[in-house]
Amino acid sequence: MTGPVLSLDKATIRFGGLVAVNNVSFDLQRGDLFGLIGPNGAGKTTCFNLITGVYKPTSGSIKFKGQEIGGLPPAKICTLGVCRTFQNIRLFPALSVLENVVVGAFLRKSTSLFSAFAYLPPAIAETGRLREEAMALLEVVNLAEVASSRSADLSYGKQRRLEIARAMATRPELILLDEPAAGMNPQEKEELQTTVRRIRDEFDKTVLLIEHDMRFVMGLCERIVVLDHGEEIAQGPPEAIRNDPKVIEAYLGEAV
Amino acid sequence: MKFWLVRIGSVLAAVGFVFLLQSVAGQNSAENPLYRLTVLAGLYVTLAVSLNLINGITGQFSIGHAAFYMVGAYAAASFSNAFYAQQPLGPIPWILVMCIVGGAFAALAGLVVGLPSLRLRGDYLAIVTLGFGEILRIVVQNVPELGGSYGMNVKPFGAPPTVLWLVWLLAILSIAVCRNLLKTAHGLPFLAVREDEVASAAMGVRTAATKVTAFVIGSMFAGMAGALLAHSETFISPDTFKMDVSFIILTMVVLGGTGSITGSVLAAVALFAIPEWLRTLQDPVTKIPLQIGGPSLIGWIVAIGLAVAAFRWLQTHFHRPLPQRVGAYLGVAGAAALLATVLGLLLGNVPAIAALKYDASALRMVIFSSTLIVLMLLRPQGLLGHHEFSWQWLAKVLRLPVKEAAA
Repeated sequence: MTGPVLSLDKATIRFGGLVAVNNVSFDLQRGDLFGLIGPNGAGKTTCFNLITGVYKPTSGSIKFKGQEIGGLPPAKICTLGVCRTFQNIRLFPALSVLENVVVGAFLRKSTSLFSAFAYLPPAIAETGRLREEAMALLEVVNLAEVASSRSADLSYGKQRRLEIARAMATRPELILLDEPAAGMNPQEKEELQTTVRRIRDEFDKTVLLIEHDMRFVMGLCERIVVLDHGEEIAQGPPEAIRNDPKVIEAYLGEAV
Repeated sequence: MKFWLVRIGSVLAAVGFVFLLQSVAGQNSAENPLYRLTVLAGLYVTLAVSLNLINGITGQFSIGHAAFYMVGAYAAASFSNAFYAQQPLGPIPWILVMCIVGGAFAALAGLVVGLPSLRLRGDYLAIVTLGFGEILRIVVQNVPELGGSYGMNVKPFGAPPTVLWLVWLLAILSIAVCRNLLKTAHGLPFLAVREDEVASAAMGVRTAATKVTAFVIGSMFAGMAGALLAHSETFISPDTFKMDVSFIILTMVVLGGTGSITGSVLAAVALFAIPEWLRTLQDPVTKIPLQIGGPSLIGWIVAIGLAVAAFRWLQTHFHRPLPQRVGAYLGVAGAAALLATVLGLLLGNVPAIAALKYDASALRMVIFSSTLIVLMLLRPQGLLGHHEFSWQWLAKVLRLPVKEAAA
């Protein structure tokens, strides 16, 4: 099977008179490291919200491995294998770092709620197993030492990494990262690039990411889509995008 | 093996605890109010713990908990009156069956209220639950078959002598269920919904099912408590389930520390006991209900106000080692007591104030609410915040050597 993992076909959403995402189409192949860029307000996060079911597309189709997912509830889409992080970090602040990741892993629970109420051995064993899985993921993003701190107490960069670990815990095939490098210092950004590559190579995921830092995107992504005012203005490998006159215009303004 | 030993041990400990309560509370009779109070305290513990599941753990702001309590009570009472005579069970097994009936009806009501919670949040959900509670109570008040506003006798047998056992075992069961939930990974989706609903849905948590489950389980326990109430009081009326009962249960949850089971239990016992204890205060010699004079009342109000201000200053500005801090707090408390006494003596010379006298029992709601205000000023996160009692914590406080639990 070689069909695209994710395929947007003329995906469109309107909020009243505003067309936030207009006829956007692109395909992600398995193992792609795909960038989604554009100036502020271009519709990048809205695009993520369409893919993950926060919004229902007005028209067009969004297919994950051939199955239409446009308009399905977010939890269902996550169960199918698409998971995301948030631009404005949305962790569970009062829970510990480890517990945050276990929430993601909980998707794969097999014991019943009754077994938890009665504190039966299967539920206890499963809790232990999920915690171990979560711990292994925390190792990947280098947060194992702070596993028992409250997630709200972490620094900004660590919270972003925790979001990635939490999304990874759902074992998605496709992972969407919304500005994963925002607020990180250069060294942290470099480490993040390594982590994202590892996610793709070692864990065999397809990655779609939104990012404002051009060096970060150009150095990491193999293919890029550029949005402006909700419309797709360019698509291709980083070198082509860098020299595309439309992209330069969108970012720097029209030449006088 | 060890697991089952611990399990059997905890069940024995629970039974032992209730046995102890039973021997302290004595027998159920008109001359022994302590028994009835212990029973009611146990019911309030169940109610607070079950509301904590909805409100504190899952974060659904529900303020109509008395309605579920009422549904359980009326369902059990009607079933008892209608069917007890036609079946072979004795009183105790019958009450157990009634618990299940009351719980089932309340769970159904919980489902009905839980469904709007899928679309409503925060204040809006609070209004719906409040409205639901009032609607149910007014419906009961106007149905003659349920006794209307006169109330309803639960006739088939008198209050069974062992009702205290059932009430407290139910309380312990509700505590155990909530604690087990939080001990396993199954509790995390509930907490995640409280923390951030959008993020938890994105992580695959079925938020709708989680919220409805919390409502159903929480109201089921309230209904079971209601069934026990009906059979221990042998009389129920809509007045027993007014809005203020809902608010007292909510206060228990908030005061104990939203989400903390231990906090809910402590606050339930304290908030139930304080007003009842104030009601019973009387002069040891004359047996007249205790009276508080105007001068000392004013003295205490001024002293407590100043002490709270001083405590708050200490909380933000006084960061010394623990013994010094405890010393400072005790010093302030002592100074406040002294100030109250001196003020009381001075004001005693003012005839207009000296002539004032109030019954302690009449002032009990005033004392109750000022206690709440003081506590919320000094500890807005509730008595225990998000913390729980645990043996490890106890060992740490007592400085016992204990091996660190793995993270």
